[in-house]
Amino acid sequence: MSGATTKPLAELRGVSFRYPGSVESALDGIDLSLQAGELVLILGESGAGKTTLARCLNRAIPSYQRGDLSGSLWLAGEDRSTASVADLAGVVGLVTQDFDAQLFSTNVLLEVAFGLEQLGVSRDEMKGRVLESLAMVGLEGFDRRDPSTLSGGEKQRLSIAAVVAMHPGLLVFDEPTTDLDPLGKREIFELLGRLRDGGMGVVLIEHEIEASAVADRVVLMREGRIVEDGEPDRVLRNTEWLVELGLPVADLDAIAVAIGYDGRLGSVAEAAQQISRARGPLKRVENDERRPGETLVEVRDVTFAYPDGPTVLHGISLDVRIGEIVALVGPNGSGKTTFSKHLNGLLSPSGGSVHVAGRNLRELDLEDVASVLAYVFQNPDHQIFASSVRDEVRFAVDNLGLEEAEVAERCAEAIAAVGLQGLEDADPFLLGKGHRQRLAVASLLVLRPRLLILDEPTTGLDVGEQREMMTLLSGLREAGAGVLVITHTPWVVAEWSDRCIALESGNVLFDGPTGKFLAAADIMERCDFEPPTATQVGAALGVTVRSVGELIASLAAPSGQ
Amino acid sequence: MYLYLDESSWLHRCHPLVRLVVAFALFVAAFLADRAVWQVPLLVVVALLVGTTGAWRNVVRLRYLFVVVAVMTFAVWSLFYRAVDEPELWRLGPLMVSEASLRFAATMALKLTVFLAAGTVFLSVTRVEEFAFALTSAGLPYRIGFAITLSFRLVPVFLESARKVVEAQRCRGFDFERGGLAERVRRYVPVLVPVFMGALRRTDGLAMALDARGFQLDEDRTSYLHYPVSSTDVEVVLASAAMVVGYVVLSWRGVLTFV
Repeated sequence: MSGATTKPLAELRGVSFRYPGSVESALDGIDLSLQAGELVLILGESGAGKTTLARCLNRAIPSYQRGDLSGSLWLAGEDRSTASVADLAGVVGLVTQDFDAQLFSTNVLLEVAFGLEQLGVSRDEMKGRVLESLAMVGLEGFDRRDPSTLSGGEKQRLSIAAVVAMHPGLLVFDEPTTDLDPLGKREIFELLGRLRDGGMGVVLIEHEIEASAVADRVVLMREGRIVEDGEPDRVLRNTEWLVELGLPVADLDAIAVAIGYDGRLGSVAEAAQQISRARGPLKRVENDERRPGETLVEVRDVTFAYPDGPTVLHGISLDVRIGEIVALVGPNGSGKTTFSKHLNGLLSPSGGSVHVAGRNLRELDLEDVASVLAYVFQNPDHQIFASSVRDEVRFAVDNLGLEEAEVAERCAEAIAAVGLQGLEDADPFLLGKGHRQRLAVASLLVLRPRLLILDEPTTGLDVGEQREMMTLLSGLREAGAGVLVITHTPWVVAEWSDRCIALESGNVLFDGPTGKFLAAADIMERCDFEPPTATQVGAALGVTVRSVGELIASLAAPSGQ
Repeated sequence: MYLYLDESSWLHRCHPLVRLVVAFALFVAAFLADRAVWQVPLLVVVALLVGTTGAWRNVVRLRYLFVVVAVMTFAVWSLFYRAVDEPELWRLGPLMVSEASLRFAATMALKLTVFLAAGTVFLSVTRVEEFAFALTSAGLPYRIGFAITLSFRLVPVFLESARKVVEAQRCRGFDFERGGLAERVRRYVPVLVPVFMGALRRTDGLAMALDARGFQLDEDRTSYLHYPVSSTDVEVVLASAAMVVGYVVLSWRGVLTFV
């Protein structure tokens, strides 16, 4: 690499860190260097040490986290191992996934100006740099908007502008796209590419393999160590290794391996071409559609408008049944969450009706509906309060006046259903996000609901945890419950749902079997849903598949049956 | 959920410190006047401010608060104010209403209304950043001014998080209405813990975000906000000062004392 001769922009030398009270090191002898104009993608499962590493780069560790830190941090050839976070303001910029905690001003201009004020930049120069940064992230004209009124993607771009305005040489992004929809994610990745092209060094920590499209180097971490560091083409082609590390594999790489293609497939078109060259036409896979159970919720002509606000839902009619997993998709602002809150009475329709198990929701209290229909919020931390997993789970049944034996049985059943056995006495606040998310589900399962509604249940989880969550939900479906999942994640929709409801601007754009949805390119485009790459490759070859597995299956049995 | 109105009334255009001076002058004058009749001029001033700055919209928004504060204050002081040698108009056990207690209650109700209205005007015309700017212009250290105004920024955030937590707990079949008062207070634990933990996490994240953007630096800070002093500023400060001096003199002469 050409970087060998120039001085690295940033360098960690032999950095180790151990959290207080922990036996294992969160970081164990990290050596990492980065050049200006280079974008390094760091991948690793939850707990691999990625966030700890990010925080060592701007000295938030040890300033904000006590523990045993050793090793040194070099920036532009200078040892900065004793610098404070503030010393590095304007040198290292850190952007985290929690955009709400990073924004604290009342308008966009002041938000971006804040860092420059601290650095003592003159007012004239400040004005120029603020506007330049806003243009860089595509927020021109947002000057006087209140940050709290922006969309998630806009908020995250604003946090980036606020950091970029300070002209740091190094930018560190800690899972910046976790809470964003696919469009928001794409915009952020493209922006990071532009920042790198502008000469900044970028460290990007992600769960998403899509980020590799803009990366110059990929670093893989496991248990606090760097286990791989190289060019994306080489590192990501080694799919077995990725799986072993608990990391996602890009569909195109999985396909390349499956068809024995030597190298990386660069696009859907290339993958389709290589497949037909290798295998000829494919067999049409029959998606066996599930026969759903009885109807539990009947929604008829539901309209909704917030007081003095625009109409959010325009006459929605549909049924939700038990025994199926329904994916509710649509771009931000299409009314997904608003609609789902009508199903259990968190919101009441302005017009139309919702019946649950034959009874009009208007006649029922939210508390009574809870035992039929459970609503799991996106952020488990909005409900967890007890000091043990068991107490958290039994909370909902404590008020039902049940026999103690029954309460205990229900708790054990719910805890087992989400796979938290053995952790009954654990403190929920010390569990990882994946476990907390499952605890939130258990604390509602204890009511033995017939339908579960989950708002983005896979957000913030690594790929292994996401699969565990979806396996859990499909187990509930097998046990006869209905599941409705609000999601942005393409593979969750494609691989796990039986039925898909797509909303666009408060209207139902599609309601039918997921297989049909994945074959309807125009509808997917209208609701800004980009299907998994494997599905796109299948479409290019004239078949509808939901996953790489199905694509491979159709390869195994060439047409002509 | 902020009260700030993004407009450009004459008071919006004043230096933030001047806006703070106006509010402060009204507070002082209202505090000194213990006779209802002397609250009336202040009420007129504050009404003019409310009318000319657009703040009336916030007064409308907060109308229940205004009514509840005024009515409750009046009721409580009418019943509990003890005037010596005043003939009682009505009595029930320890509760007693006299002509004096009614007059005193009216004064207190008007005083609190002036406080509330002056505060509403100030927050309607002043961003939290401008509030911090005003405090630093008045000589307060930057970080202290910032910390004071930060609480104004965080209140809406915590209210929003409390709303979400209540929603989430109700979805678990949790009924807040059940039980007596003590029982209800105890039942708020499932709301308070998540809100409190969320607040801790958030302030932790916020502290780091502020620090990463140089909040702790000791460089000479500059300010994006810039307010050249105008003739209006001078006039407004002089008028406010005149009002305060007037009330101090009246108070000193005993004119404002409750009799």
